[in-house]
Amino acid sequence: MKGQQIQKRLPLPYGSLIDRNTEVSFSFERKSYQGFAGDSIASALAANQQWLLSRSFKYHRPRGALTMAGQDANTMVQLPSNPNALADRELISDNLAIMAQNYSGSLNNDRGAVMGLFSRFLPVGFYYKAFFKPRGMWEKWAPIIRKKAGLGVINQQLEPQYYDKQYRFFDVVVVGAGPAGMQAALSAAVEGCEVLLVDENPILGGSLNYARFDAEGIRGQQLREKLIQKIEANSNITSMTDAVCNAWFADNWLPIIRGKRLYKVRAKQTILCTGALEQQAVFRNNDLPGVMMSSAAQRLIHLYGIRPGNAAVIVTGNNDGYANALDLLDAGVDVKAIVDLREQPKPDAIVFAAAARGIPVKTGYAVYEAQKSRNHLSAVEIRKVVSQGICADRGEVIPCDLLCMAVGYTPTYQLVCQAGGQLSYDDNSAMFTLINCPDAMQVAGSVNSHWNLDACLAEASRAAIIATNALGLTSTAIPEEIAKEPVSPNHPWPIFAHPSGKEFVDYDEDLTIADIINATRDGYEHIQLVKRYSTCGMGPSQGRHSALAAARLVAAATNRTVAQTGVTTARPPFAPEHLGHSAGRSFYPARRSNMHYRHLEAGAQMLQAGAWYRPAFYGAADGTVDNSETCINNEVNNVRNNVGLVDVSTLGGIEVRGPDAGEFLNRFYTFGFVKQPVGKARYALLTNEAGVVIDDGVACRFSDEHYYVTATTGGVDRVYQNMLKWNAQWRLDIDIANVTSAYCGVNIAGPKAREVLAKLCTDVDLSPSAFPYMGVREGTVAGIPARLIRVGFVGELGYEIHVPQHCGEALWDALMDAGQEQGIKPFGIEAQRILRLEKGHIIIGQDTDAMSNPMEVQMGWAVSRKKPFFVGGRTLTELENKPQLRSLVGFVVNDLNAPIPKESHLILDGEQMTGRVTSCNYSPTLQKPIGLAYVTPENTPAGSTFIIKSSGGVRVTAEVVKLPFYDPDTLRQEL
Amino acid sequence: MSSIMPTEVPRRSQLSRRHIELGAEFERSGYLLLVKDYGSQTEATQAQILGLVDLSTLPRTGFKGAGAPDWAATQALNLPQQPNTCTVQTDGSLVAKLSHQELLILSDLNGKSASIERLNNTPVDPQTYSLPRADSHCWLAITGSQAAEMFSKICAVDLRSHKFANGEIAQTSVAKANSIVIRNDQGSTHCFYILTDVSSAEFLWDCLLDAMVEYDGRPVGVAALRALV
Repeated sequence: MKGQQIQKRLPLPYGSLIDRNTEVSFSFERKSYQGFAGDSIASALAANQQWLLSRSFKYHRPRGALTMAGQDANTMVQLPSNPNALADRELISDNLAIMAQNYSGSLNNDRGAVMGLFSRFLPVGFYYKAFFKPRGMWEKWAPIIRKKAGLGVINQQLEPQYYDKQYRFFDVVVVGAGPAGMQAALSAAVEGCEVLLVDENPILGGSLNYARFDAEGIRGQQLREKLIQKIEANSNITSMTDAVCNAWFADNWLPIIRGKRLYKVRAKQTILCTGALEQQAVFRNNDLPGVMMSSAAQRLIHLYGIRPGNAAVIVTGNNDGYANALDLLDAGVDVKAIVDLREQPKPDAIVFAAAARGIPVKTGYAVYEAQKSRNHLSAVEIRKVVSQGICADRGEVIPCDLLCMAVGYTPTYQLVCQAGGQLSYDDNSAMFTLINCPDAMQVAGSVNSHWNLDACLAEASRAAIIATNALGLTSTAIPEEIAKEPVSPNHPWPIFAHPSGKEFVDYDEDLTIADIINATRDGYEHIQLVKRYSTCGMGPSQGRHSALAAARLVAAATNRTVAQTGVTTARPPFAPEHLGHSAGRSFYPARRSNMHYRHLEAGAQMLQAGAWYRPAFYGAADGTVDNSETCINNEVNNVRNNVGLVDVSTLGGIEVRGPDAGEFLNRFYTFGFVKQPVGKARYALLTNEAGVVIDDGVACRFSDEHYYVTATTGGVDRVYQNMLKWNAQWRLDIDIANVTSAYCGVNIAGPKAREVLAKLCTDVDLSPSAFPYMGVREGTVAGIPARLIRVGFVGELGYEIHVPQHCGEALWDALMDAGQEQGIKPFGIEAQRILRLEKGHIIIGQDTDAMSNPMEVQMGWAVSRKKPFFVGGRTLTELENKPQLRSLVGFVVNDLNAPIPKESHLILDGEQMTGRVTSCNYSPTLQKPIGLAYVTPENTPAGSTFIIKSSGGVRVTAEVVKLPFYDPDTLRQEL
Repeated sequence: MSSIMPTEVPRRSQLSRRHIELGAEFERSGYLLLVKDYGSQTEATQAQILGLVDLSTLPRTGFKGAGAPDWAATQALNLPQQPNTCTVQTDGSLVAKLSHQELLILSDLNGKSASIERLNNTPVDPQTYSLPRADSHCWLAITGSQAAEMFSKICAVDLRSHKFANGEIAQTSVAKANSIVIRNDQGSTHCFYILTDVSSAEFLWDCLLDAMVEYDGRPVGVAALRALV
């Protein structure tokens, strides 16, 4: 088998990318093939004479390799893992199952090809014209069009792959490792720069790997070996092959993709040696398999050892076509003719060599039409060029199975333009050129319209000098700009319309000469409008091979120059990238308290509150969820009757210290704090400048100059930032420190809480008189230094105990152990929500919204009217002078058979929405549903009723009751 | 299973469960409990290549405020001159200057540095405020020749040895977690301390292990870290 494979290849040294010792089996369209390691899918198939790779987007035309460089959409195939893989970029691997895309029936006999017969009825802009009238037709067309749209199929069963990212830092990044790139890297590196040399191909060398620079065909290889030897010997150069620099972002931030990793590269200087993309000639059937860029044929020969055809014609507008012919001859291809668009080629050694080897040359001729047989090129008709784009009436047909196109180039301009450079057009050279590159970016080589190897090398050295001078490493005099060659490789008009059309300007979108011209005739004369109307350049290859021809056609059709016409904007990314590259690894800094595993061991069902994991409720100890409602109700009952323990470590904690601490809190929160006694806590309600309630907590005064302020789990970062912001203005003598993570906290609550705590806390007098409700103390609990706060969020005797974070688990263990006798049980935030609701406490963010002011939520009592200023104070004064539009009230549902309302259920007056529910739960204590809701002022008196539109649209009657629902005299929390 | 378990002391690393899963052998000195090793004979060598150490239970403290620089100058400390640099003290502790008005003090690797306890018990001057650094942050160490390379996968600061000198500090994001990264080489081995919000300790530990796989990095005990000096 291996012998057979080797026979399909040209002898060494052809095939620099393949390993002839390693055979690889794969399948295409369910047929087995063999190739070699290093083969791309397209090259391996080509070696097996399978040239047809895909079907085109609109007309389902047969398509084959065009560039062999991963720069066109013709080679898109379906892989098991992903659609639209570029067959000339993707390597074969053992047992890889590859399918073609976008056909109906079989790849060889695609029923969809019938669309080509209707092409005259599918003019440019057809979609816009055809599917929107009469009214309502779009709904009928949409499913059909959507079914036809797209090429490959996403594998929705695929397991997520591992992608990641890595930062890299270099003095100079050289993009493109062709002759200019390698020379630029070397010139910069010898001056001491750390250089990254990046190239999308598997090996360094760029065009030196396949192009012919002299008649003998030896200079490229010699130069490559010399440069690579120097690069490998220079430790300042990092070479990265198989890597695509996919964009340029501000400050030389370069995303480079290799494999499944996105490198986020920072470069101080960038030198772009991205080369040039060969362009197609535009003539009838220029898209047939067998018609390819001359560079594609050379790549097949030199990189993969594949003879690209048996009988070839070269259509050219430059001398590269002659070099191509020599390469084909050397590879054993019968070169039938060089069809030169020019009347007279520029004489040089290569042209003479071609003549010496007897290759027929037809000067002043063009390929007028390609002909096909069995989905492949079978012949070309060539005709004499009589004027720009016009051929003689008759020509001659040359049988061939390979047509190489060598009519010009465009610079690979995308990164330059993303960096702010501009693409200009030089009418003399018929070529796009780059101008106005930013300071920290240089361009060198063919991307800057240099075609002579010596000029490329000289310009690369010059670019490196500019870069190293800018870095301060050298102060070398910058050489004169390298003069451009007088003769351009670009033919000004390799475009030949045919009465029957099918001369493709944009292969991706099946756009022909007529489509581009008709777009201008429909009034879309600006190149950007032509793009959007015709979709030219919007396909996967992003105009790489259509921009130049389209610009020329639009210019001619609108009587402007190409320079005036311009090109469309080149936006990132340069090449398609997987979503995984952007996503990379997931970094979501989840937060856990020190007691986290105790919750899990107790069977907690955890939920995420922001980044924090919190126990929602505790199920069965083995982790299985019993009945959540039963679990939660049991937890509630245990707190009401015995004692419960809840982890409140996620609550925010902020230290405010210094001589002005009281004054600061006075200004920051709505209440008064200056006269707050030491050893007491005070409720702290926070409003913003608009008087909207944005957070709450308690401020604990441990000394004259020391307050410890709690904040909500989700709000603490904002509170802290606001504190810093305001004190940047007030400049009070304080220090503010967010110590949320430094403390673990628990709330031990229930009538037996003191009993349990007393077992562990002997240095604080816990008696009600010595440590009353809203008192704060410092002491030890189980030998752990602790801050104790008597608060009653759940409406029972309770203590918040805050200890150093690393002691959280030890505290939990000690309390659970000590409370066994009292029947202590942990409770989660679901039970806590019910407990606080029974007590009528609001939760900021749940019972408030972006408009809630303290009066609306019945917290006017927490607003001091005596102090001169606090944030939001002026607005609240204004609001108090205006009628209140809504009020948060407590309600009960007395019908126990009614569905329990949920948060955000609407309150209706007839069909008019007048409010909404913010909290509602079944109260195990009151044994009925209770809740909070915003209602209109007339509905606020106790005993009023209103209608809630509950689940399923059921109207539920609710009765307003005075808050709190439970223990209205607060006897229990003040035990 | 280790003969000493974290539950024997009140101060327990947030990463205790991870250590136990990895077969850690703990060492205890008073209330201080650390991972001595994970049972491998090659941890000292591993630390020279790429090792991850949890030092979270070691003492540390911090001070900030307008008065902090002057107060610290009276505390017999060898203070760094520039923000974002650190100095190693004679007792093995390390003083990191996080800004003109903020200091972080880390103990030596045995937790024996006298300066931490002394500073915590010394009355501070006006406008000088202590910070609970021992509990607000976890403290990890990344050691070895591959450390900077590994960091480049999760941190946007260039930590390579010729760009980030010994004694330098970066206050930055590591795997999206706000972190203080301090380069404090142990002998000739590169060593970076990372101090991150303690509640994210497990997240960061997992991220680091994931990033280390490529370089054959592994957790090592504090014994391996001490052996580098």
